Amino acid sequence: MNRVLTLAAYNVRILLSERTWFFLAWALFGLQIAVYGSLMSKLVSTAVPNYLFFYAIGLMVITVFDSGADVGRHFVEHAHEGELPYFLSLPVSRGGFLAAQAIYGVANTMIKVLPPLIGVLWFVGDLTVQGAVFALISMFLLGLGITGIMVSMSFIAFKSVDIYSAFLAGLSALIVRFSTVFYPLIFMPSFYTPVSVFSPLTYGADLTRWVLGFDPKFLLNPILAAAVVTGVAVGTLSLSARIVDKVIEGVKAA
Amino acid sequence: MAVLISLSLSDMLVVGLVYGRLIPTKFAGLTYFQFLVPGIVVVGLFSAATDTGRRIWLALREGVVQYYLTLPIRTGGLVGAYIISGGLGGIVYSGALLAIAYLALSFLGPTAIPVQGILYALVLIPFLFVLATGIAGLAAFFASISRRGEMYWVYAQALQVSMVTISTVFYPAQTIAQYLPAPVATIAEYNPLSLAAGVLRNSAFGGNPLDTGALTNLLSTSLPLAILGALAYWTILRTIRLKGKP
Repeated sequence: MNRVLTLAAYNVRILLSERTWFFLAWALFGLQIAVYGSLMSKLVSTAVPNYLFFYAIGLMVITVFDSGADVGRHFVEHAHEGELPYFLSLPVSRGGFLAAQAIYGVANTMIKVLPPLIGVLWFVGDLTVQGAVFALISMFLLGLGITGIMVSMSFIAFKSVDIYSAFLAGLSALIVRFSTVFYPLIFMPSFYTPVSVFSPLTYGADLTRWVLGFDPKFLLNPILAAAVVTGVAVGTLSLSARIVDKVIEGVKAA
Repeated sequence: MAVLISLSLSDMLVVGLVYGRLIPTKFAGLTYFQFLVPGIVVVGLFSAATDTGRRIWLALREGVVQYYLTLPIRTGGLVGAYIISGGLGGIVYSGALLAIAYLALSFLGPTAIPVQGILYALVLIPFLFVLATGIAGLAAFFASISRRGEMYWVYAQALQVSMVTISTVFYPAQTIAQYLPAPVATIAEYNPLSLAAGVLRNSAFGGNPLDTGALTNLLSTSLPLAILGALAYWTILRTIRLKGKP
């Protein structure tokens, strides 16, 4: 356990040295809320009251998604820059290695999401400790699920990084656009709804909005959302643990 | 290119359609879907043109630029080739998107697209080319000044989010002027992406005569960006030629 934490701490230290990225993420979040969020909320106000808050949570969920994708990319970069054999030679089990990556992912997500979350809740006058904590738990579970999906997909990158990058970009487009990140499910055309219910972001975004008190008539059933988010986190992390255990040995450096 | 097309297509056919249901207001006679689609074509052009910056950054980082400098071509020629390739990339990509947008609006829009709109779109190609070279120049500028690590991606992301967000791609100029401070509205109005989206909406999709004032503004905002990028890249290539490193 101690060795896993040491490895995780090493990754997190590298993460913390890249401060520019965090400031950029917070600044761009602020810009998107101040301009896009405020203007779109005026345009859609008749259909979705308090759209600014709806959009702000959606934007945070996208940040969680990007952070999860970062972990996958980080993992793939390790493999292709030849660092993976070094990490595998350390006296840490494969599961421990995956756990260290997951801790890195959680730290990355929390640093990027926590200041915007507190800022938004304060701005809309809804800042409570329990609201912030439950929203973080919801996004934390979603982040674990996304990390699991990305690490599970990384076996594609062991064949070709280009295919992995293209696949991820395409997958991101579908997962984000078809989800309820930007708009409630009830406003989606019926032919998109079946695709939307397959996006984990749909459940993560609606669960986070529900714990923060958004009007439930625009959201999915919170029990279903909580079950799906938890199931995706557990399922994909188990899958990625198997992949790390079985496939990782054959990886060649670029 | 397939990935970029899929991103733009999903913006057009998913985001555009759903927001169209959420926003019942018409903007100068256009539904929100009709309003947004030309904007997405411009965002596509922007994404394709900024790829020039990524290629310059990679060439500088991986030393490929040293090989370029051994070729029997002048530094100015190399710079010109990169900027022109950015412009052509933007045109090829936005041309494909424009064709898809015509199809989408023909089937999903409330009114047919006027035939003269297609002719206006053809006339607009050189102007869109200049816009793409301007964006490529801006990306080249950031790639040239990114000295360490992944700094280029910080600039690239900041550039994309700020230029697309503070523009009239997603919302009309009147809405911006009504709710945001005047300086922001002015930046959005003279943003080359806003100008291009406006011209496409008005002429290529609306069939109205081309607005020469908007086209002049488009050229006068895009050309300086192309020149800035060319100068920055030329300076860095010259430094590498003289000192062996940037």
